[in-house]
Formats: sequence, structure tokens, C-alpha cells
Amino acid sequence: MSDRSLASRRSLGSRIMNPKYIMIYATIGIFLVMYLFGAISYGAQGFTTLRTITNLFVDNAYYGISAVGMTMVLITGGIDLSVGAVASLTGMFIAYGTTVLGIHPLLCILFSLVVGVGLGLLMGWVIHRLNVPPFITTLTGMFLARGVCALISRESIEIKHEMIDSLASWKIYFMQLKDGEWVKIKPISYINFNVILFIVVLIAGIYILQKTRFGRNVYAVGGNEQSAKLMGLPVGKTKILVYGFNGLCSVLAGVAYALYVKSGWNLSLMGAELDVITCAVIGGTLLTGGVGYMVGTLFGVLLKSMIPALITFNGNLLSWWGKIATGLLLLLFICIQKLVLGVTGRKKTSKTKPIKE
Amino acid sequence: MAENNLLEMRQIEMTFPGVKALNKVDFTLRAGEIHSLLGENGAGKSTLIKCLTGVNKKDGGTITLEGKEIQPQSPQHAIELGISTVYQEVNLCPNLTVAENIFVGRQPMKHGQIDWKTINRRASELMSRFHLSIDVTRPLSYYSTAIQQMVSIARAVDIQAKILILDEPTSSLDDNEVQLLFDVMNELKKEGMGIIFITHFLDQVFAVSDRLTILRNGQLVGTHKIEDITKVQLVTEMIGKDIDTIFSLKRAEVADGEADMLVATHIGAPEKLEDMSLNVKKGELVGFAGLLGSGRTETAEMLFGATRITKGEIAIDGSKTEIKKPFDALVAGMAFCPEDRKRDGIIGDLSIRENIALAVQARKGFLKPISTKEQNELADKYIKALGIATPDAEKKIGELSGGNQQKVILARWMATNPKVLILDEPTRGIDVGAKAEIQRLMLEMCGEGVSVIFISSELDEIIRCSNRIIIMRDREKVGEVDGETCTQDQILSIIAEGSTAAGGEAS
Repeated sequence: MSDRSLASRRSLGSRIMNPKYIMIYATIGIFLVMYLFGAISYGAQGFTTLRTITNLFVDNAYYGISAVGMTMVLITGGIDLSVGAVASLTGMFIAYGTTVLGIHPLLCILFSLVVGVGLGLLMGWVIHRLNVPPFITTLTGMFLARGVCALISRESIEIKHEMIDSLASWKIYFMQLKDGEWVKIKPISYINFNVILFIVVLIAGIYILQKTRFGRNVYAVGGNEQSAKLMGLPVGKTKILVYGFNGLCSVLAGVAYALYVKSGWNLSLMGAELDVITCAVIGGTLLTGGVGYMVGTLFGVLLKSMIPALITFNGNLLSWWGKIATGLLLLLFICIQKLVLGVTGRKKTSKTKPIKE
Repeated sequence: MAENNLLEMRQIEMTFPGVKALNKVDFTLRAGEIHSLLGENGAGKSTLIKCLTGVNKKDGGTITLEGKEIQPQSPQHAIELGISTVYQEVNLCPNLTVAENIFVGRQPMKHGQIDWKTINRRASELMSRFHLSIDVTRPLSYYSTAIQQMVSIARAVDIQAKILILDEPTSSLDDNEVQLLFDVMNELKKEGMGIIFITHFLDQVFAVSDRLTILRNGQLVGTHKIEDITKVQLVTEMIGKDIDTIFSLKRAEVADGEADMLVATHIGAPEKLEDMSLNVKKGELVGFAGLLGSGRTETAEMLFGATRITKGEIAIDGSKTEIKKPFDALVAGMAFCPEDRKRDGIIGDLSIRENIALAVQARKGFLKPISTKEQNELADKYIKALGIATPDAEKKIGELSGGNQQKVILARWMATNPKVLILDEPTRGIDVGAKAEIQRLMLEMCGEGVSVIFISSELDEIIRCSNRIIIMRDREKVGEVDGETCTQDQILSIIAEGSTAAGGEAS
């Protein structure tokens, strides 16, 4: 990622082998293995085409957007179970607002942002100030948001608005030069607004974590909250803002999902928070806090969404196999994490004496 | 008082529920001075420092920095005021790199972005000032405690504070590193910084301080220039008792024909220790000397099953015992107080009673709970026997001072009536009085027939207590000397040269 440093003094090898990157390598490695498996098994059905990859993005952008916020929360050592409900609530606001009340969707989105970020900040405040465990606090937030969803409507509401329609159907096609003419490549591959939103949020996440003091405080708080406090870092502010940022991501994920399905339903995205957490964890983020990278999360999202893609290509398997495979994958990653932590820990003990010049 | 006081703390008062932690304490610090703050555990040193660094809020008195009254609200606020602190336990983030730990919260910025290049370069420079050439882009957890401690000192130094507080910075450093730290302290002193130095090592106090202030039971005993006081006076003032009564310890007596209680023959585990043999007789106290990382702790962990041995065998009380995990050792009658009591020893949120009952319960099996009544009897017995300073057995162990925590852990293992007790650095970070008490308890247990293995970095206490001393170096046993006849120099030369010839086999 962005740790460009001391290039002149340390060899490339030692920089690449830095133990802090091991988890990312594991994620990328397993992603490549799965891609290779798909390419060998289903190459003939067109698995290796660009379309497979772009579809991973198009179909899972809303997970990705939410996973960016979740990664940040997990790095502080917290957790946020309200993301699915807040995204669903956003969908309800947009659907009910535009279709039933006739409000412009942009105003609905703005309203959702105020509610989502506000709820995030409030949960952050409760976690920090009242010292309530994040699990309970955000569980409460989840019930609250779900409740409001049901209050608005128990029925699925279709979103009917010109702007939403045009935004949802807006696509950038991948083109190639054929006989001096630009034509869409076959099979047709495209990215849409959701993918761009995901990439913007992801880059924002990388920038915040790597290039701002706030981002580094996020890591410090997750590493050791007590130490961070004694080092004079603004622990409370960091935690509250992280939940606020995650609220923002939840709302944007809700917008992306609304564009994807063009409707709002109070029971949509049930349990999505767990999928999002799964993406972050198989992307190398530690649930105990302090460790995690956005690039890892990106591959976590891709890896997790590759499973249903492979099942679709296979054609014979029931989609429930996807859940089983995801479970196994998660288990594998938790084992790798334990193993990696064990290995770096052992290295430490064999090096108790300082290296003198 | 002199005019050039950098810091004046006047009539500081602080009350915790039920305890007057500080009672009208005065403390002054001049610019360009190293001022030691001394006292036993619980004397109020840490509390006084925490009032200054904004961790605790004082109940009374005034703090003046450069003539202006200040009210530190939080550690962050204290740092902004120019007060920077190194705490006894490393207070850094293990997941961040060395460089980041030095600069986090005040990273140099370029175009509104963190300037990683400058951070890593400056961190490297700073570490080389401490004669450490380490890769500053590795996570802090990659390095040993000693290096971590140096990093936290580097952070505090680089903040360019007016006041630097060093709260027991030396407890995990070896002699060279301590000397290095002193050099840095003297440099900073020349630059006009005021340094408050807290340590339990009296030699270090005399080596580096200009003045010293002694606290006892939350009260000021006195402030002296270093030239005006002797070590004996100092200790007497610290503990308020005559020093001789505390140090009159008697070595355990072991009859010549006494049987071996613990015999380990050629035990080893990969990456830990290749080959180690030792025997401990009934009622004998065997000391382990050697530098940090020389293999002392590794031996203890192998004996107790915390590290599984891959070769050799262990016999307890004459019968061969297979120890695969700590529970096996527990059942076989061993007990082990690990080195890092914060991490491996105490369970901070449980009460003293629960912490004491823990090992007994583990040995009985969790299906046979010990009744609360029995637990209470157990706790009360040991609180009395060990002189644990607490209002009652229900206080959380995390709220006790270091010395008292150590006593609770000792009580936990004493309650199991062990045959062999392994103590890894039981006296680290605790004060002279409590140290002497732990030593006394150890020797009493030997008198009752318990075999004790005592690991310590402080040679004088090893020599004072041990019947035999095993000397370790580079993960090898390099010598064994008789505790009664050996001298400190003898042991040091064995550690330095690594040859048995220098000391000769004894016993």
C-alpha cells in the first residue's frame, strides 16, 4: 500500500516481507487460487472473460461500500451490527419518499445521510462515553433502524423516478478497437454508478487510513486503547467519528442497493451486516482490532462474491453450497490469522536482545 | 527554594475511596535537573505523577509550570503543556510500526498528508541516537520489551517537552541500555529539560540524579541533594524502619543427604533450549542467574509444561513424570509464577479471593467447586500470612500495588501446597520493603520443605537467598556455583566468559 519509505536503506525484499502484510498476501493468494480453479474448470463457459470480474463488482458494490466503513470500525476493535438495517432504512426513505410522498430522491438521500451519520455518531458516543460494548450498542441501533423500516411500510415499494431510473441504467461499457471502429467487447462488460461509488469510497478509505492522523489514530486505538490515551491521542473523538463514517458508508451502501434493486423493502438486507463483517475478516482485518487494510477488504469482497459466481458457472450446485463455502473460507482465514500471529510472536521471543551497532 | 523552579507542586492532595493517597505533598523541579522521586510501592509516587500528567485529578493544591498555574485535564492536555511521560509498562501500540509509535498523533505532514518518508527517516535517526539499528518500519510487537521501552523513551524525548517523566523506565533494560539511557538523560539535562526519574534501583538514583525527593504513605519525607545523603539513610527514610531488620535473611538449610525433589535430565525444546539438566533438593533454593534472554525463563517454562519438551525427562519426588501441559505440572505438585504478572499472572477484574483460589480450584477440577466459605478462609489466611495490604478479600486484584499483586500470586501457588515452586522475577518492579518480604516468604517455604527455583536479574538477591546458583548464557547452562561462598564478581565473570572453569563446579 502506501508505505513508501527508506527505499535507499532497506532492500525491497525486507519491505515486501514485512510481517504486517502477511494477511493481505494470504487473501490475494487465495483469490488467485480460486480464480485459477474457475479458469480451469469453467474456462470454456467464459469464466476468464472480463465480464466475470466486472460482474463481481456490479453485483457486490453495495457490500464493498459497507465493508470499507466496517473495516475501519473493526480496526478500532469495535463492531457495527446496524449496517444492514441502516442501508435498508435508506432504501425505505428513498422508496417511500419518491414514490409515495413525491419528494426528489436527492432530498431523500440527504435526509438518509443525516439520519445514518447521526445514528452512527450517537452509537459512537454511547460506546465511548457510557462505555457500552459496541456489540450491544449497535445491536440496539440495528433494531431501531429495522423498526423504523417496518413503521414506514411493511410492503415492498417500487422506486419510480426518472433520476433513479437513469442513474440505475447508466453504464460505462468496455470497448475495443475492431477494424478501426470502437465496439463493445464481447461478452458485454460494463461498470455502473455503484461500482464507481464503491471505488471512490474505497479510495477515500485508503486515504483516510494511510494519509491522515485520524486514520493512524484508528489503528492506535485498536492496537491498545489505554496506550493511545496515555500517548495523548484523541481516543473518544476517533471512536465516535469512526462510527459516524461507518454510518455514512451504510447510507451509501443503501443508495447503491436501492439503485441495484430499484425498490425498498423493510426486510431487505437482513443479515447483510454479517456478510460485510465476513468480507472484512477474509480481507485480513482482525476482529480484535489494530490490524486491517482496505486493499485486503477489496479482495475480501471479491473473494466472497467469487463463491456464488463459481456456483452459477457450475450450474448444478444448490446456492446453499455458497453459504457452506463461505463458512469454510471464514474458518480458513481465522486459522491463518491465528497461525500468523503465532509465528510472529515466536520470532519475537527468539530475539530478546537488542541488536547493537 | 531557588528562583529557577520549572515546576512547583504545592500542597497536593488526592483521596481515593478510603485512602488518602497524597497528603499535602510539595515537589519542585528545576530546569536542567534530574530529580529522583523515591518511595515504596503505595507511597504515592505514581499518584503524584498522575496528577501532573492529567490521568488523575488532584483534590487540592496547586501546580505551577514556569510561573503559570496549570490544571492538566488529560494526558493529551499534559503533553500540550510540555509534560511528556514514559510509563513503567510499555504504553505504545504493538500493531503500529516503531516509527509510527514515535510519531503518532504528531506526524509531520506534507501537502496535508502524512509524510511517511520523513517519519521513517527521523525515527531511524532517533533510534541510532540510542545505538539501536533496527528496522523502524516493522511492527513494534516484533521487538523485545527492552527495545519497546527504548522506543517509548525515544517518543517522549522527541516530543521536546519541558518536563520528561520517566516512571521506572529501567526495569526491563540491561546495564548497557541503562547506561545509554543515562547518557541521553544527561544530554537532555544540558539542553535545559527537567527530568523526573522514578526507579527502585538505588544505584541508578545515585548514578544520575541531582536531587531526590522521598515519599512515604502519601506524605513528603524530604528533598535532598544527592551529595547530602547516603544509601542507608535513603532506605531508612523510604521505609521508615531500620534497614537491618529487613535484610537479616537466613538462607535455607539443606541437609547433605537430602533427596532430589526435582530432576531434569537433558531436557530441550526446539528454538528454546537445546539441552538442560538440573536438580533441586527438597527444601533447597536454587537461583538462576544470567542476562535477559539467556534461557532462564525458557527453562522454567519447559519445567512447567508451558513449552512442551521434545527430549529428556523430568522426575518429581523420585518418579518420572510426563509433563505435556501446565496442568500436568500442577497435578505433579509444581507451581509457577510467571515473569510478566500483568500478562500471565493476575486476572485483574477478579477479586483477591478469586485469584487466590484459582490454582487450587484448577487442581481439584472444575466439577468440584470450592465453596465460598472455604475460599474466604483461604483468602483470609494468606492475606494475613503474607501481609497483603487490602481492606478486604473482595477488592479487585487490579487495584492493588505491584508488590501486593505479587503476594497474591504467591498466595495462589502456596495454597496448592506445591512440592516445587518456580518464581520468575518475583521481585521485579516492586520496592525494597516488599522485595525483602517476598524473599522472606520464599525462604520460609524452603524451611517447610518446598523446593524453590528462583529466577532474578538482580544478582545480589540471588546470592543472598540461594543455596546453589545456576548460571545461564546464550540458552545454555554455563556454570553452577555455591550460593554461600560465591561472589558477585565470580558470577559476572562466568556470565561474561561463559566458562565453567572460572567459577568451578560446586555442590
